[in-house]
Order: sequence, then C-alpha cells, then structure tokens
Amino acid sequence: MWGKPMGVRKEKVHESCPDTGILVDSALVMIAVLDEKGTVTVWNHTAETVTGYSRDVVVGSDGIWKLLYPAKEYRDLVTQKITASLATKNYLENFETTLRTKSGSSRIILWNTKKIREAGQTRIIAAGLDITESRNAELFRESIVENANIRIAVLEKGTVIVWNKAAETITGYSREEVLGRRDVWKRLYPDAGYRRTLTRQITEIITKNRYFENFETEIITKSGEKKILSWNTRQTGDGEACQDIAIGLDVTVRKEAEAALTSYMAEMALRLKGPVEVIRDNLSDISHLLREGKLDPDDILLLLEVQVKNAQKIALNVQEFQRAIAEKHQEIPEAYRKFLAGE
Amino acid sequence: MPDIVLPEDLQAKQIFLILSAPGNIRECNIEIIKELSTRGYHSLVITTNFPYTILKKLYGESGVDLSGVYFVDAVTHHTIGSAENIPGVVRNVNNPTNLTGMGIAVTEMLNEHKDEKICILFDSISTLLVYLPSTDISKFIHFVTNKLRLMDISGVFLAVEKGLDPMLMTQVVTFVDKVVDTG
Repeated sequence: MWGKPMGVRKEKVHESCPDTGILVDSALVMIAVLDEKGTVTVWNHTAETVTGYSRDVVVGSDGIWKLLYPAKEYRDLVTQKITASLATKNYLENFETTLRTKSGSSRIILWNTKKIREAGQTRIIAAGLDITESRNAELFRESIVENANIRIAVLEKGTVIVWNKAAETITGYSREEVLGRRDVWKRLYPDAGYRRTLTRQITEIITKNRYFENFETEIITKSGEKKILSWNTRQTGDGEACQDIAIGLDVTVRKEAEAALTSYMAEMALRLKGPVEVIRDNLSDISHLLREGKLDPDDILLLLEVQVKNAQKIALNVQEFQRAIAEKHQEIPEAYRKFLAGE
Repeated sequence: MPDIVLPEDLQAKQIFLILSAPGNIRECNIEIIKELSTRGYHSLVITTNFPYTILKKLYGESGVDLSGVYFVDAVTHHTIGSAENIPGVVRNVNNPTNLTGMGIAVTEMLNEHKDEKICILFDSISTLLVYLPSTDISKFIHFVTNKLRLMDISGVFLAVEKGLDPMLMTQVVTFVDKVVDTG
C-alpha cells in the first residue's frame, strides 16, 4: 500500500478488475510509470487531463518533467527529494509539488511514489492527486478564520487547535501560548468562582441545545484588562471527532457605549424633568406672590425674564440631547429607540 | 412651626441639605433666613433662582433684619445683562454656569464678614440642574462644603425633594452632616 489518499489498492485491483490498464486509465488520480532511466511508460487519462499533455507526447520520453517543472531550481529540488527517498525507503508519501500545466496554470499535486521491481526490471510508479481546489478552499477558509475580526477558537476535547489573530489581539495570548493546551480558560477567567458559574451555565445550555448564542462573559486579558465577549458556539462531529467552534465578539466598546448612553439619558431626563419643574414651581410661586400683592411690575418683569432664561436653557439642552441621539443612533439599544420613537 | 434647622446643630457648625416640597422652596428659604436671623446669625444667600432684589424684599416683609443678610446673585446679571455689586451686600456672578466665579464670590463675601456669626444658604441645587450637569454640581457642592468646614461655618443647601437623581443625591448626602425633609 503506497498511496493512502489515493484509494487505489493493488489487492482490490486484482479482485475486481483484472484489466490493470483499464483501472489505471480510469483512476481519478494521475498515474505515471517510469522506467529506471526516468522514461515515462504509462501516463493515464487523468494525468493528461490535469497537465494538458497527452500520452502521445509524454510516453517514451523523460522530457515531461521539464515541462511540468520549468524552473530548474524547483525541478532539481523535487528530483533530489524523490531520488533520496526512493534510494532509502523505496517509497515517498504525500509529497506535495506545484506543477505548470500546458495551458500555463498551476496545479498542486500530492504525490505518492513507489519503486518496484517486476520481471527483473525496476519501475517507479507515481500517483498524483490534484488537491488544488481543496487546498485553495482550505487556504480560503484559513484566511477567513485568520482575518476575521472576531475571536475564533476551535477545541478538540477541550484542547485548543485553532486560535486566530483576533483571538490573539483580544486576549493578548499568542497562539504559541494556547495551541495544544487546555488551560487558556483559567487564564481568561482567573476568578475560580466566576469560572465555576460560567461552566455551570454553559453546561446547562449545551446540554439542552449543543450550542449557545450571544452568551456574554467578562474575560481578563494577558495585560489584566477586562473585556466583554459575546460568544456563539457550534459543535461539529460526534464522539472522538467532536470539535467545538467558539466564536467570540469583543463587545466591550459597545457595552461601554450602552452604559454611557444609559447614564447620558438618565442625566438628560434629570436635566429636563427637574428644570421644567423649577419653572413650573417658580411660575406658581410668582402667581401666589401676585395674589398676595407682594410684587410690583418691575419684580414681575424680572421674575418672568428669569423663567424665560431658564426655558431657553432647557430648550438648548433638548437640542443638545437630540443632536447627541442623532450622532449616536447606532449605539442606542432597541428598547431606547422604541421609547424615543414612541413605539 | 418646628425649626427647620435646630439651634444646637447650627451651634455645632453643621452643614445641612434641606429638601423642600415642590412649590414650597421660596417659603422654605424665607423661613430658614428668619430662623437664622432670630438666632443672631448673619446669612450669606447664594441664589441661582430668585434675584436678590426680590428675595431681599420678601425677607424684609417677613421681618428679617436685612442688615445681616448678604447675597451672591447668579441670576440677575444673566437675566438682564448687567447688575451692580454693592460691597458687603451683594456680589453678582454673570452666569449660573460660572461656578468658579461663584466660588470666588462666596469666598470673598465670607472673608468680608469673617468676624460675624454667619451661615450660608444655597438656593438651590435644583435650579443649578437647569444649567449644569450633575457631576459639575456635585464637585461645586464638595468645594463649598470643604470651604465651610475649613472656615468653621455652618451652611444650608436647598433642593426640591425628589428633584435630584439618586446618584447626585447620594453624593450630596455624603458632603453634608444632616438631611432635613420638610415635605
């Protein structure tokens, strides 16, 4: 068995398909057979499809490798690696190369190569799996995970196996300090009581749903800063293959903005309600003094002008309030927005 | 009518927060000045609500000896655009938001009358809320109460009951010795 990912088993070939030529040609992996001098003797259909070079061009020559690896340095590197491995072990597994096709595009091939002797002759069989698409998809996924501005951690039985850049930035712990370990949570939640409470809450939620959404916790970063994270988790796989994906959004700024807004609104309510009551009480008092005949016209004029000034200031406060709300409307919690909109 | 400010508390140079029912704050003001006058105290009234001319007139009509009542007026200048200081009697502050000016005026008036048995009356915290955020008001009251303690002078701060938010109320309560609810 020389090619684990290839799925071509010699035993089965003989059992199910006696015609090896048909099997080789219909295989979904590139198959090339070389003689001792490197001359290609077999070049299957998939090899033609992937590289763009037909067997008529390839078979009977060793020139294909110069076409597939046009850069001499890289070609030499590949050759050295294969030669060295075959010389010592007779096989080379999962060797990844990037080849240039006839159309000029690049393909990533995962090779499994084995040297065999048959009828007194040495043959090298190379099977190549085109992993370009899956590798690109993997890189794309990694790029998304890596560059997401939310913290992403993947755990396998509690051990952290993915810790993206945002996780490093938010927590201050580098992936070197976290990957392969289980103790990051103790560092993020150093208060044992709080950690126990969280563990209990999370266990309760996961027991019911296998995941949780928008679960907020307060972490302590490496520098000792407090941050509020909103967590969303998912479990993938079962049993041994079970992985937990934990996505944490840093909502510290949003929470602070909400708290500031709440304080601001409380202050504004105070500075609207109280002052309006001051004017009401003063006008009531002026009317009372007038009835008692204790004020002359100049006094009345002065007192009324004071109330006008007070009212002007309240109007300015309201304008300031409106302006602040307009500027910060994105930060207003839904309940406040409904309240302000009279819903 | 029972005393709003007890004589023994005044004697002990205590600082009071007097909470008045809405619409009753002016009467409360006059009552306190009458009590102070009766007990031989001079009064420094810091007003952010009624102009000093009106207060003076109302005190006079209530039988208060006006020769012992002085004013720091933060209303008149702001309202009519000008106001004249009368040495030993009234100092005007151009705007109720000018807490620095108000602090200086209070300090100077107290220094002018430092040999007298004097008490200050601040009317009122509630009115200041028209012009200033509660944090500034809290700092100002802290400043004035410290000044009073340093000068060993008694003081009364007036506010409308339930007119202050709990946070400001909590802070002010820590600055004074006694809270009296007249409502």
